Amino acid sequence: MSDYISRADLLSWLEKVSQSRDLVAPVKIEDLTLFQKVERVEDIVFDPGNTDLSPKEFFFPKSEVLFYVDRSDGRVELVPAEVEQETVIFGIRPCDAKGIAVLDLPYLEEPADALYRQHREKTTLVGLSCVSACPECFCTSMGTTPDDASNVDIMLTEVEEGFIVQVVTEKGKALLPEGLLSSKEVSPPAAPSVASVPSEGIAEKMHQVFDSPYWDRLADRCLHCNVCSYVCPTCYCFDVRDLRSGGRVERVRSWESCQSPGFTKIAGGYDPRAAKGPRLRQRFAHKLLYFVEKFGVTHCVGCGRCVRSCPVNIDIREVIQDVQGLGVKSEA
Amino acid sequence: MNATEQIVAKARELLESGTVECVIGYERATDGVNARPLFVYQAEEAGKLIFDQTCAHNLAKYLLNRKGKATAIVAKPCDVRAVNLLINEHQVERDKVLIIGVVCPGMVETKWGRVSEKLRQACELCREHTPVVYDFLVGEPGDEEAAVEYPDVARMEALSIEERRAFWEEQFSRCIRCYACRQACPGCYCSECFAERLDPLWVGIRIAPSESWIWNTMRAFHLAGRCIGCNQCERVCPMNIPLSLLNRKLEKETLELFGYRAGVDAETPAPFATFRKDEKLEVGE
Repeated sequence: MSDYISRADLLSWLEKVSQSRDLVAPVKIEDLTLFQKVERVEDIVFDPGNTDLSPKEFFFPKSEVLFYVDRSDGRVELVPAEVEQETVIFGIRPCDAKGIAVLDLPYLEEPADALYRQHREKTTLVGLSCVSACPECFCTSMGTTPDDASNVDIMLTEVEEGFIVQVVTEKGKALLPEGLLSSKEVSPPAAPSVASVPSEGIAEKMHQVFDSPYWDRLADRCLHCNVCSYVCPTCYCFDVRDLRSGGRVERVRSWESCQSPGFTKIAGGYDPRAAKGPRLRQRFAHKLLYFVEKFGVTHCVGCGRCVRSCPVNIDIREVIQDVQGLGVKSEA
Repeated sequence: MNATEQIVAKARELLESGTVECVIGYERATDGVNARPLFVYQAEEAGKLIFDQTCAHNLAKYLLNRKGKATAIVAKPCDVRAVNLLINEHQVERDKVLIIGVVCPGMVETKWGRVSEKLRQACELCREHTPVVYDFLVGEPGDEEAAVEYPDVARMEALSIEERRAFWEEQFSRCIRCYACRQACPGCYCSECFAERLDPLWVGIRIAPSESWIWNTMRAFHLAGRCIGCNQCERVCPMNIPLSLLNRKLEKETLELFGYRAGVDAETPAPFATFRKDEKLEVGE
């Protein structure tokens, strides 16, 4: 027997949820599918496949005010921003949920990022397991699975006419009213098979090939746009500026990317990663080596967004494959 | 020989003879159906080159990374105009570039893992199938080309100012400022883009409608009289913003005011890079 909810009951429950909290779910915006605040629960997209942008922006917004300067009464005070709104993210896939768990590592490590922690505390994740796999996905090679419930508060799995419900955390339990779920004799569909990449031992191989001419060749075609970083559920770099806005001064942070020209430019104008090869290598070295060394997991969850979105087909699956090959040669 | 075979043979010959150090062309992407840029340095790698209707990238941008080095480039008519633009603007030396021009059948709409038979809108509207200049031509040159038309721009012009504002506000609201449009554009090569300048500060770092509005309009204006219509900005935009519509509006204005289209040759001075005392254009009279 499984806990079960019909599709109609699910939608009316989400409707109720949206009355007291921000309900965020995948919706269609022209040709794109994006996580957005839902106006009508009928707009929620249940289709398989990943959204064009990951839901990281609900924890690490594209732009966010960190604090503002209050200069009233002849005093100068720094007023920190606060997250007030409770949010429920519905329809998050296991890879993206894992992505948030990966973001937790740098952002919740003490001293924790105050705003990130508040977003995290005020958000409940309702996951949707994948019953089919996209051709660009490789989650099982990156430490998660299409039905991994370990990083959400509630996990749903689509079955005929409704969903099997797994209540994973207390936070998830608190969101469900008594008597909403029924028991049903239904078993979950088999998890889809996901293409694999040879990620075993990749950190060590990245060490070995650090100085390989491979990176310059790969970077030949890189445009050094920020698409890969911005669609990525785990990239977490930002830039910070003080801006005057509506008569007050605000400190704002916005997404930034290691691929951006000038990302590493320092006072005096020197840029230690001005060349294309080292700049592109940084993306993969951070994902497959530095983050692994610091936090013990790869900084990639295999969602396949960068694979799909790169305008020149720089494909992390191919890079991993190539690097494994290069490493073998250098040992010989 | 088909286009791919001709390109492979030419690339091999150019690399074997040492005429160029590198041939920039296309190879098959990892999804098995699309194309991606390929840099060939060794004659034995030339066999990877392909050409078909998925080769939509404008490779001229890459010449900026190979200044002063003898390079051959596989170029469609719009890409050739980009090469002309870069020569005209003194970014690339003509004698360092060997143009393998390709008579263009038009590129088709593609997504990751999927190729349609439908021409891209830019290609649907394009009237130039034979490159204006080349050192070697792949394919048979066609008949004289028809005049350029701007039905898409006319549709936008038919809207009221309020409607246009609402349209662009909505489009720009999706912008994530990834700068893929800029990075893919052969005309965007400032060593420091206005968007990243701190002094003076032209636009803040926020990824928000106010800043996105400034970024996208200034990007378009910096290409006034310079855009060669390759549509890369729109092709690479992950948020599907119809950026080339702005560029085409400016292209149309430039054509009407100055009878000028960028990249048609490498010599005619660009209207916004010249000053003629007698030229008043009935503006501000």
